[in-house]
Amino acid sequence: MGPKNVLFAVVLAAALALGVIVATRVQSPAELHSAFVLPTPTPLPEFALVDQRGQGITREAFRDHWSLVFFGFTHCPDICPTTLQILSAARKTLADNGQQPLPKIVLVSVDPERDTPELMAQYMAYFGDDNLGITGTLDEVKKLTTGLGIYFAKQPGNEESYAVDHSAAVLLVNPDAEFHALFGGSHQIESFVKDVPLIMDAF
Amino acid sequence: MIRLVVLLVALLAACTSEPQPPLVVSDVVVTRPMPGMKMSAAYLSLANNSNEVIRITRVASAQYESVQLHETTIEDGVARMRAIPVLEIAAGETVTLQRGGKHLMLMRPTSASDTVTLQFLDGDDLLLTVDATFEPRTN
Repeated sequence: MGPKNVLFAVVLAAALALGVIVATRVQSPAELHSAFVLPTPTPLPEFALVDQRGQGITREAFRDHWSLVFFGFTHCPDICPTTLQILSAARKTLADNGQQPLPKIVLVSVDPERDTPELMAQYMAYFGDDNLGITGTLDEVKKLTTGLGIYFAKQPGNEESYAVDHSAAVLLVNPDAEFHALFGGSHQIESFVKDVPLIMDAF
Repeated sequence: MIRLVVLLVALLAACTSEPQPPLVVSDVVVTRPMPGMKMSAAYLSLANNSNEVIRITRVASAQYESVQLHETTIEDGVARMRAIPVLEIAAGETVTLQRGGKHLMLMRPTSASDTVTLQFLDGDDLLLTVDATFEPRTN
């Protein structure tokens, strides 16, 4: 990470922390388990990417439904499938609890070089049939991640085994396609089951 | 009280005829490869029952060309995965490999088998062999 990126990360972390403090005082439902609601929801940045069917996708695809958005990659054997399984299990519990509407689970690839739409399709199918896998060009992925304060960095290694460091957060995006609340890692099913309905109700 | 329990455990251990092996594995889980992927993760607990530190410098498997000891950490909100050159287990201690923490990364399967054999080594010394199968499908 270059000095500029470090500075950016520090400023962003400070801004997020401040936002979190203000948010928890002003707008969050008092009984939230672990989510931080932003004081003012932030519109998703403009981007042009593709979904797991190879169809073009922009921020408009986030309208009219809630989304739980995770940033990861398919060549990640531990934290990525674990997080998606947690989101999938939370969604199932919410459905069993009669929660309506249900949030859509979204994976944004931070490794678009290896994550083709075909690979994303196979991968996402494992976590249910109404989810969204987003990939595309590195530049367009960065438009989305940078605008949301999501960090990722490809690590050294061969083509097969290199890892990608990435923010562990899950973002809750509201039906106006705005970044609405943040769940920090490490994630628990209970956090989403408890907080998502509370945040939706307060919207 | 703890000393008494330790003493009792030691006495009980002395009464049994079979000596306890120095390295004991439990709670083994090997994840089924994700669709389209050729890698799995393995999670388990390793207990060192000896009086000396045990070092694991590599893990081998007949069913995978490459097995690596890795650790996922989350610091300042960023998830990172790094190789662990040596896994040290202090005398009497247990090290747990678990989701979101230390784990084995299994790459390049050489067979389509659901069975996985893991060999834990210190250099060329074989410390332990573990037989496992993939976890059941959840979806």
